[in-house]
Order: sequence, then structure tokens, then C-alpha cells
Amino acid sequence: MRKTLMLAACTAALALSACSEINNEDGGGAEIANTEYPEQVFWGDTHLHTDNSIDAFGFGNRLDAENALRFARGEEVTATKGAKAKLSRPLDFLVIADHSDAMGATKAIMEAPRIALLTNKFLLRWHDMMNESDEGSLQVTAELIDGAAKGTLPESLTDPEETRERTADLWEKHGEIVNRYNEPGKFTAFMGFEYTPMPQGDNLHRVVMFRDDPEEMGDTIPYGALGSQDPEKLWTYMDAYEKKTGGKVLAIPHNSNVSNGRMFAMNKFDGSPIDAAYIRTRALREPIVEVTQIKGDSESHPFLSPNDEFASFGVTGWDKCNLSCTRDMPPESYGGSYVREALKRGLELTLSVGANPFKFGMIGSTDSHTSLATADEDNFFGKHSANEANNKQRALEPQNLGTREGRFGWHYLSSGYAAVWATSNTREAIFDAMMRREVYATTGPRMQVRFFGGFDFSADDTADLVKAGYTKGVPMGGDLKGGGGQAPKFLISALMDPESASLDRIQVIKGWVDATGKSQEKIYNVSWSDADNRKPGGDGKLPAVPNTVDLAKGTWDNATGAPELVTFWQDPDFDAAQNAFYYVRVLEIPTPTWPVYDALKFNLTLPDDVIKIQQERAYSSPIWYTPAA
Amino acid sequence: MMHKLIREPLVHFLGGALLVFAFFWASGSNRDPADYAIHIDETDIERLKTGWVQNFRRTPTQAELDALIDQEIAEEIYYREALRLGLDKNDPVIRRRLFTKMRFIESGETADSGADDTILKQWMDDHPEKYALPPLYDFEQIYLGQIDASEARQRIDQLKAGANPDSFAQPLSTPRTFARTETADIARQFGERFAEQLETLEPGDWNGPIVSGFGSHAVRISAKTPGQTATLADVRQRVANDWSATRQAEQRDKSLARLQAEYDITVAGRP
Repeated sequence: MRKTLMLAACTAALALSACSEINNEDGGGAEIANTEYPEQVFWGDTHLHTDNSIDAFGFGNRLDAENALRFARGEEVTATKGAKAKLSRPLDFLVIADHSDAMGATKAIMEAPRIALLTNKFLLRWHDMMNESDEGSLQVTAELIDGAAKGTLPESLTDPEETRERTADLWEKHGEIVNRYNEPGKFTAFMGFEYTPMPQGDNLHRVVMFRDDPEEMGDTIPYGALGSQDPEKLWTYMDAYEKKTGGKVLAIPHNSNVSNGRMFAMNKFDGSPIDAAYIRTRALREPIVEVTQIKGDSESHPFLSPNDEFASFGVTGWDKCNLSCTRDMPPESYGGSYVREALKRGLELTLSVGANPFKFGMIGSTDSHTSLATADEDNFFGKHSANEANNKQRALEPQNLGTREGRFGWHYLSSGYAAVWATSNTREAIFDAMMRREVYATTGPRMQVRFFGGFDFSADDTADLVKAGYTKGVPMGGDLKGGGGQAPKFLISALMDPESASLDRIQVIKGWVDATGKSQEKIYNVSWSDADNRKPGGDGKLPAVPNTVDLAKGTWDNATGAPELVTFWQDPDFDAAQNAFYYVRVLEIPTPTWPVYDALKFNLTLPDDVIKIQQERAYSSPIWYTPAA
Repeated sequence: MMHKLIREPLVHFLGGALLVFAFFWASGSNRDPADYAIHIDETDIERLKTGWVQNFRRTPTQAELDALIDQEIAEEIYYREALRLGLDKNDPVIRRRLFTKMRFIESGETADSGADDTILKQWMDDHPEKYALPPLYDFEQIYLGQIDASEARQRIDQLKAGANPDSFAQPLSTPRTFARTETADIARQFGERFAEQLETLEPGDWNGPIVSGFGSHAVRISAKTPGQTATLADVRQRVANDWSATRQAEQRDKSLARLQAEYDITVAGRP
């Protein structure tokens, strides 16, 4: 009885962190041993919104962080709109990344007693609209997003002093929940938030994630774009955090595809050209980029890569106007919007300024606003709660999201996840792997991709690829220097996701700077299925893998692809004097998109323009080559 | 006895009620004067001032403040008259807001205050399947490729007859042998379908084919260690999380059920 009372007192008082420490000790948290090298790939989502995000709650999400964590760990939860939701396989880690601006505000406005809002007509109107109906709630969210883009939000939501107290309280409670679900060795729950600047509706968003336990983070609270829209100010906040706490933090840019050329621009936020100090800070703070997610894919665009027949994936609906659709994006802006081009710009800057701000690895994540980290086509819970799995119109309805122009439901992708080669499933090991860029992106399927570069490999090393890779070379995300003039060699393998589709091919994508100082790119097919019959043509292009998708059943035939592709490859066009990067793209055979499963479930007829068949893929982090000094 | 009665709160209450009743009876009206009293006190005035400052960035003049107060009085009068006329009934906006408020209050009341080991142990014993440590498998698998079932069965028959596994094994970078491996880790490598089929097999000779997303496999289980019962220390945090999550959901249902029991509910077409 006494113990019950003590626990009750603990919960009632705000001494939550102290109490959870006691619990952790009782839980017998044995030290988790790290393996000598990363033996296992861990799967996660670094970009999930819960009901603490102003827009997620406004869109109707009523699932909190605890539900999000339970779902990611593989438990069944009931989604906001009533459908039972469960992942086919648990994830290994999760970063809940709620918007830092006005965190928890819509929830607070709706749940506040009406009397407390009587003096603020603005908030009172929103309170009433939200309580009135789902449509009212959606309208409030649209106004919020619009207000944030235009800078017209009411002061009580934007004033840093007024929000600080509310945020600190919420952040402390959040840390307690995150800790309760963090189980080293089994499942890792990170502290994090999303920094959401969008000047004129151009997306400059970053997810910020911490390596540290909540109780080590002191009085740090999330940094908002209302503090500043200039990402350099975010980096200052990160510097200050590390100095003050001795902790570690990184930022992950995403949706460069709707940044109107600004995510990887050649100048700073204020328009001045980027300099060495900016480059050093950016390279330190932003070691990885989220290249694929619900709101499209940012690897490349047919305009930038006209010779890449796979560059159009996840582009439709996202390349015409910026995030809020308030500004058109001309193709000339794409260079600053897509990842491959940014990697090339990085090489050019290495030569002109002496350092590379865009030396990043690649991950995927969901950006789901439903608290449900789904990325499987046949188990997709949508961008937000109004579009969960039981909304049969969701594929075909316009999805304005507070903007004036329509994007349609089917433009949204059921993508993606982050794959991390770490030495254990712990906050420390996963974070450190991200810092060294030993990570890759997938659009949802969990294919296992290995990629090593070095000068001492031979074709025989594919027999024990991982061991040779780590002992004689560097893994994805690493650096090759010198090499005595010989072309770098690579060991590459891709194992299909046994619950998804077999593999079409592995490609190496090379970027380099030519003798005139201009960056170039080339795509090499290095391994593919049915190699006896599929021979490259004169242009180096491979015949397409057969399309076996049966749209009437939502099935395909894995026998047309390879369960695994393993290869040794050496750059045939190497020039030892030229800076270069190499990354791997793995393509699955064609499979149905999520609207096809919706059509089967709800007996819909999909119009012709809806994309029904796609080739899901993985993007590895690059390996960079720098000539000997 | 009388002395005790005088100190009894119930008696006070009944006495009070009797007085009120006597007043209405004597005055010939059913009008409670408290219903017709409006008091604007200092805190109300402060609140009105703060609202003004938020909207206009300055303090109101005396005339403006008087207007605010008059507005407040008018609002209150119409509010009460509206209630007397029953205008709050059948209004979907008001109904919805009261529903939200009530649900919020209920959820606050039922918030959990934590559990001790006895409760958690009991919870664990009630849900043994959730916390049993998984069975462990010692087994060997060879990948036969993307071949059909009858072909796979032929090869497995040959394996049983003593054929060298290497002669059938197709290259695949998944491990060939596994020691004391739990189902979840097997599913990580080969998918759920493979793990489920493995569970149906007994230790002994070569068996299968087991089908995974990769194709067909031959499997030889050498030992199967049944799942042990976990101790509370092994899984305490998970048990506590599950207990409290379930409790919260249950209590939400319970508090609705408790209220629902007070109502006589009929639905056309529902038995």
C-alpha cells in the first residue's frame, strides 16, 4: 500500500523523471553489447507526427506519443478514425518529430475550457470551429498553415515567452513517455522535433534528433521557426545545446523537392554566397538528408537527369509549386531542390571553396501525421487522419492541405523508411551510424543493401563481402582518398525484402567534376536479374524487367526478379584528378501502388492518370573520392 | 440524541431545503433570487481589461471599460434567458461541446497513478502469451531457389536419403545455420511466412519445403527449446506500459458503461 501511495505521489508531482529512473533500475537494464562491426540493419522512421503537432491534431489525429510508440513496436492500436492498425513487422527505432512551432497548441485550444479563451477572439473562434465538426477542425488547420506561411498567427501562439512554459511542460511529459518505450537492444525511442520554416511557402524543414536521454537534456526545449526561419540559427541552437549539456544532436533536411530550389541553394538564407564557415557548420550539423517520404521523392528529376529513365519516381504532383503552392517552381530552380544535384554542387564547392556543405548520407522516413509510421503499399494509413485507411475517397480527392491548389491523394507516396547499419539497437549506436552516414533510404520495402569502396578489393571478395568490405575498404558514407591513380573498386550486394518484391537491378550513380569545373553524372547498371537474357544495348541501357503486376488482384511474380544481387564493380571511366561520389540505387521489380489496393478494397475505378505501377527502391549513402593532395 | 441530530449535515440540508420551499410557498412565486443576481467583481473586470489589452495593445478608457462591462451584463442576461427558454437543447454545437468537455473530465478522472509489483505480476500471469520468452530454434537451412514445390520436395527427399546439401544450396547471403534463435529474428531474415512454417516442424531430419519471399528452403531443426516464462524483472517496463495503456482504455470504456447503465436505450431495428 505504501508503495502504491509513493508511486501515486510521484506521478502526481512533477518529479516524473526521477520516478522513471527508479522504474528503469527495476527493469534490469543490462548493458547492451556492441558488435565489432555493424552486422545488422535497423529499420526506423525519423519523422513521425502525433497529436502534439498543430496540424496533425487539426487534421483530426487523436493518437498521442504513447500510441505512436506502441504502434512502431508492433502493437495493434486503433487509428483515430476507428480502423485497427498494425505493422506487418515492428520497427527498430522511432523519432517522434512534432512541429516545434506551437507544439501542442491545437490540442490545448480545443481542450481548453471555453472560459479561458473568452478574451481572445481569434483563439475562441478556432476553439469553437474545432469543437463544432471535423470540417471546422480541418479549416482551422488550413488557416494555421496559411498563417504560419504568411506570418499572421496570433501572438499567443507565436510569443516565445508565452509558449515556453507550455512547451517545457509538454516536453518533460513527452520525455517520460519516450523513456518508458525505449528498450536498449530491442527498440530505440529518440527525442526529437521538427523545425518548420517555410519562407513564402518554400520548404526549409528539418527534423532535429538527439542522441541523449531526456534527463540529460537539461532545460532544452525545441527550437521553433518562429524564432527564426534561417537554418543557421537552428545550427546555433544545436551548438549551444551541445556546449551546455555535452550531448549530441543532428538535423535532417527533408522535402527539398518543394523548397523552390532553396534547400540546397548556393547562397545563405539572406542571399549572400555561402562561405567556408557556413559550409563547416552545415556539414557538421546535417550529416544526412531525408530523400523520400509521403510528400514525394527528392532523389532527382527528369529535367535534371534526362538520361535516367527512373528519375521520375515520386515527382508527379510535387514539381510544379512549392509546399504551400503559393509560388510556382520553374525547372531552373530544381538544381537546389534535388539530392543528386546537391551532391554534385557539393563537389563543385569542394573545388571552389575548399569544403563541401552537401556531403550527406540518405535516409527515407514517413512524415506521417497519423501517429502511425506506415510505408507499406497494402497497409498505408495516409498523410493525416482525414485520409486513414478507411477513407475510400482518399486516393482521388484533392488534398489541399491549406493551400489554394489541388494535389490529389494519389500523388502522396506510401514511403519511406530509414535503414541504419549500427553496432547495436541503442540511441548511441544508431545516432553514431547516422553521423558517419552508414545509412540508406528505402521507399518502404526492407531490402538489405551493402556498399563498400576501396582500392584493394578483387572480384573474389564478393564471397565474404562484409568482412572484406570492412577490413579492406570503407562502408557507405565513407571517404576514399588517393589510391595511387587506380580506379576505386566496389563491393555491392542487395538482398530483397522477403515480404516484398524481388530485385530488378543495382545501379551505381556517379557524380564528378570535369576538367572545366562543371559537375557531371552517369548511371551504371552493375548487376541485374535474368542476366542471361537481358543484355545492355549500345547506349548502356538494359531492357526493362517484365511487368507482372495483376491490377485485378494486386499481385506480381517474384520469379522475374532476383532474390539477391551481389557484385564487384570498378569505375571504368575513372580520372584520378577528378573529385567524385558514387552511390547505389536498387530497384525492385514493378509492383502496385497503394491506390490499387484501395481500388480493390473499395471497388473503385481509378482514372488513367493515376500511377498504378511503380518500382520501389533503395538509395545508399554515397562514398566520396578525393584526389591525393 | 437531539444534540447528535443537530450536528448531522443531512439534517442541515433538509432544513435548508424546507426553508427555501417555505419561501417560495409564502411569496407565491417559484423565482429563486440567486438566479437573478449578477455580480461583476474585480477579477471579472481584470479579465475584461486583459482581453482589451490583447486586442488593442493599450488599457481601455473608463468609458470603454464601462461599455465592456455593460456588454458582459447583457451577454449574461441573454445567456440565462436562453437557458430558461431551453435554447441550449437540440443545438448540435452546444451538444458537441458538452460532449467534448465531459469526455475530457472523465479521462482526467481516470488517469492512472502507477502500479506496484503485485499488480504487475498479476497482470503478467493473466497474459502469459504476451510475456512468455519465445521458443529458441537450432536449425540449418539451405536455399533451393525459386523452384516449384514438387521439385523442392524431390530435393528434400534426396537430402533425407543422404545427398550432400551443398549440391542443392543456391547462393543467398542469409546465414546457413542458426543457434538458439528466436522467431522474431528468424522472421527478420526470412519473413513472417517462413517463421510461421518453421513453428509447425519438429526437430529431426531435413524437412520442407518452407517457402519464403526468396523462394524454397530445406530446413533441418536440431533442437527446439520451448519458450520459458519470463520473470517480472525481465520485462517489467513492457508490462507496466501494457498494463497502464490497457487500463486507460478499459477505464474509458468503463466510465461510459457506468453512465450508460443509468439509461434505458432502445434502437429501432436493434434487438
